[in-house]
Amino acid sequence: MFVIVVGCGKIGYHLSRALLASDHEVVILERDSRRAARATEDLGSIVISSDGTEPTVLSEAGAARCQLLIATTGQDATNLVACQVGKHSFHVPQTIAVVTDQDHVELFKRLGVDVTISTTELILSHIKEEMPGGPLIHLLPIQGASNGIVCVRVPAGSPAIGRSRAQLGLPVGTSLAAVVAKNGEIKSVGENFQLEQDDEVVAITPPDKETLLWKALTGGA
Amino acid sequence: MPRNVMILGCGRVGAMVAKALVAEGDDVIVVDLDADNFRRLAEGPNLHMVVADGTYNDELRRCGIEGVDAFISLTAQDTVNALAAQAAQLSFGVASVVCRINDPIRRAMYDELGLRTVSPPQVMTDLVLEALGS
Repeated sequence: MFVIVVGCGKIGYHLSRALLASDHEVVILERDSRRAARATEDLGSIVISSDGTEPTVLSEAGAARCQLLIATTGQDATNLVACQVGKHSFHVPQTIAVVTDQDHVELFKRLGVDVTISTTELILSHIKEEMPGGPLIHLLPIQGASNGIVCVRVPAGSPAIGRSRAQLGLPVGTSLAAVVAKNGEIKSVGENFQLEQDDEVVAITPPDKETLLWKALTGGA
Repeated sequence: MPRNVMILGCGRVGAMVAKALVAEGDDVIVVDLDADNFRRLAEGPNLHMVVADGTYNDELRRCGIEGVDAFISLTAQDTVNALAAQAAQLSFGVASVVCRINDPIRRAMYDELGLRTVSPPQVMTDLVLEALGS
């Protein structure tokens, strides 16, 4: 596949290396001449030291025959315009933009960018999936931040496993909003409710009760 | 009726447009990343200045974009203008959006995509030709 990578920072550089290693054809566009020179030294003469949001530059890079354009700079504005120019002026079939502002995920999709990758969201979801014990994730502050909606995953070995709602010993002032099982099923928190490993518990809690809530659900110290 | 207008970019153009709109009776919020640029303007009852990065929706929200009738992006960077203007249009539903795009090729593209664009090099060229009487 022929891929144009816009931006040769950490993401662009390592991505290009990986693409080259799997025998894809890659052209990198990097505005900063020093960065471009460094990348050329490592990766060969596949780097053009120019602005990847300029139609003339993209044309020179071969955008008209490229199958995939990936914009990886740290600036959402640059990534959006590179993808839009690729899409609309050169009919690139697949465009991917890295975004920093999570609000831009939705906006970029509406503007025709095929795939958006939010680095923050990615890291968050990894933390959520990989951390033993599981952190307490803040989903939303409510009522002027006097309460918050949080999410906790029940880890293996938690004393909360097998307990009913009453047995959980939830701190006063907190409330279970929903429990989602590992298979995605929403569990009803009724009389027969028992907490299982890997359940995601969505709860409403004042900030000063967060730690107690987390301990009750994970057994963590 | 006076409009609520937000201007992104307080360079020479942004500052002049802000003054002109205030003179017409509009309420204007000027947003720029660099507080130094506000030296071109004086805060008044109908003119407010906020230091913020217009490429983040949260920042635009903090500046009060949700209450404006018009949004004008006039920074020196096409990319910043294009992003902010499209966010104003789609994320915030601002009724009237004007966007400065310097590069003529990109400008044509954004015109096609439904942005109302202004291109200073094009405007200058037209005026110079007109002044030459050609």
